[in-house]
Amino acid sequence: MRVSRRVMLGVIALASISLPAFSAQAEDVTITVWSLDRDIQPAPNLIKDFNKLNTGIKVEYRQIQFDDVVSEAMRAYSTGQAPDIIAVDNPEHALFSSRGAFLDLTDMIAKSSVVKPENYFPGPLASVTWDGKLYGIPKATNTIALYYNKDMFKAKGLDPEQPPQTWDELVEAARKLTDPAANVYGLAFSAKANEEGTFQFLPWAQMAGGGYDNINAEGAVKALDIWKTIIDEKLASPDSLTRGQWDSTGTFNSGNAAMAISGPWELDRMIQEAKFDWGVALLPVPETGAERSSAMGDFNWAIFASTEHPEEAFKVLEFFVSQDDRMFKDFGQLPARSDIAIPPTGEPLKDAALQVFLEQLKYAKPRGPHPEWPKISKAIQDAIQAALTGQMSSKEALDQAAEKIKAVLG
Amino acid sequence: MKKIIFSVTDGRGFDIGLVLLPLAFLFVLSGLPLVYNVVMSFQEVDMFSLGSFVRPFVGFKNYVDLFAQPETQPILLNTALFVSASIAGQFIIGFGLALFFWMNFPGASWLRGLFLVSWIMPGLVVGAIWNWILSGDFGVLNFFLRETGVIAGNIFWRSDPNYSLWAVIIANIWLGTSFNMILLSVGLSAIPKDLYEAAELDGATALQRFFTITLPMMRSTIGAIIALGLIFTLQQFDLFAGITSGGPNNSSNVTQYWAWDLSFRQYDFAKGATISVIMIVLVMLASVVYVRSTRHEVRG
Repeated sequence: MRVSRRVMLGVIALASISLPAFSAQAEDVTITVWSLDRDIQPAPNLIKDFNKLNTGIKVEYRQIQFDDVVSEAMRAYSTGQAPDIIAVDNPEHALFSSRGAFLDLTDMIAKSSVVKPENYFPGPLASVTWDGKLYGIPKATNTIALYYNKDMFKAKGLDPEQPPQTWDELVEAARKLTDPAANVYGLAFSAKANEEGTFQFLPWAQMAGGGYDNINAEGAVKALDIWKTIIDEKLASPDSLTRGQWDSTGTFNSGNAAMAISGPWELDRMIQEAKFDWGVALLPVPETGAERSSAMGDFNWAIFASTEHPEEAFKVLEFFVSQDDRMFKDFGQLPARSDIAIPPTGEPLKDAALQVFLEQLKYAKPRGPHPEWPKISKAIQDAIQAALTGQMSSKEALDQAAEKIKAVLG
Repeated sequence: MKKIIFSVTDGRGFDIGLVLLPLAFLFVLSGLPLVYNVVMSFQEVDMFSLGSFVRPFVGFKNYVDLFAQPETQPILLNTALFVSASIAGQFIIGFGLALFFWMNFPGASWLRGLFLVSWIMPGLVVGAIWNWILSGDFGVLNFFLRETGVIAGNIFWRSDPNYSLWAVIIANIWLGTSFNMILLSVGLSAIPKDLYEAAELDGATALQRFFTITLPMMRSTIGAIIALGLIFTLQQFDLFAGITSGGPNNSSNVTQYWAWDLSFRQYDFAKGATISVIMIVLVMLASVVYVRSTRHEVRG
């Protein structure tokens, strides 16, 4: 027993010495990539394709869970074990770039023939920008719009080709569509006290002239008042306060809500589950002709400043970017680029929805960017919940949020 | 030399070794993290200094800041309500069930065993199931209450600030009752039967027997259960994550969930640690009660 353990230790010691030596001999540079993509999603597949090219760069992949991305990345960075490349959620990007944890890619992008900033939607591009420099490349993007049940529109005497355009029309339509006897709510959305609540509310505030740094603007107060009307009149389930977007949209799919606000990640499930005719419309605006806005989701690629092979890591990113045209077809994700035409999928509902989401994407705005985004977001969530539960008026709640956010912004 | 070897294999040294081993284990796995947590609550910690031990000390700043936050007081009150209501519910129902099964009717021990199912289930699963039961529109509980005429309209257990904390309390009572019942059953069966026979001969009524024999004889068991209950309810995290996420508007937020939210959602590790320290003090007080009541048991 004792001998065998010694042998084992010897083997481990030898291996740890010889492994780096061996790989150095083969003259392959190893680049590690962390992202949350599962086997059917882009990262692992693109990496497999890249490794087949034998460029002298070997890419290793590790999948991390959504909830662990930031904490895991921070732990790794502060102990000097960060990967070369990571995919982070866009509102978290500034946290890393502002601390110099991510590599400044501005010069490399300027020289690159593949990555061109002008090809990207402004929202995703803003989320990788800090202090005028580019600290990453948008990986994919998504946004939210209004799903509506065309059959229910017809049944209640509404024109299924004329979905609500303004907030007032939305509330009016919701009133007509709500049918407690049939267990149908007019609208499904999420005001949950996590990032999803902020994600859903911020576009409303932005359309009306507010923003995270101006959250108690008159328009934002009006937006929250509209939300409150929707909840108070039971045009949406009171459980919207504790339900995420995926569960809320589930009630739309099952015919218990006539409209739903959510993103393109719902499309595949909706096509399977929804037994009715549905459509997607742009997010309603405060009044006709008002500025449009929408939320912007999804992840960005970044290179850690601690990498030993910045050139090679950037080459890997260039390869990822060169495959952007496959994103929707192969993986169901929207590339964050305006220069790529997405080919039709052959599924008419999905293709029609895609056009709306692409239009909506033009107005998508990033959350932040700010290194302390989670605190800002928390202040907004608290305000939404305080107002919707009737503990404060919309104005009071947003004033308080503005106060908290001001303290964070300094 | 021989003496030392003897002492280690079969003597005082052996005894000391037996004590030291678990002590070292406890120190490494519980003691160090605890100390680390206390130290962290006096430091300025952000995500990028998380990996190093050298961080600026800020004295009681974290504590002062914490108590200056408007949500602190309601959350502490919620915690007190959650703990006391949960323990009271678990204990009373658990005691009732224990007395019921103590009557030893056919199949009593089988049924008692079945009750443990709730205790075996992982907290997140229990949370997810109660999430459905308590759902406002399609929840089973609302359906049941409506059909029996108790309520006229649906109660939004999870989303109405007046009910959200109670939603978690109900689930927690369900979760902890069986554990209380089993421990109390053990305590009941340890009471010598001749005491009851003697009392019966002397003409004591069932109620008198309960208050003069059962309760006093169960004193140490009850003390231990309540102390354990305090520890378990203060640890209860899964149900909050599964049912309300502390919402709406912190109306069902409690310290243990808040500590996690501050540390891992808002990345304010120092404040998260500060709350944990406050909780450690509370749990320690409970542990003292627990240790004292079990010590009494050993002596008696």
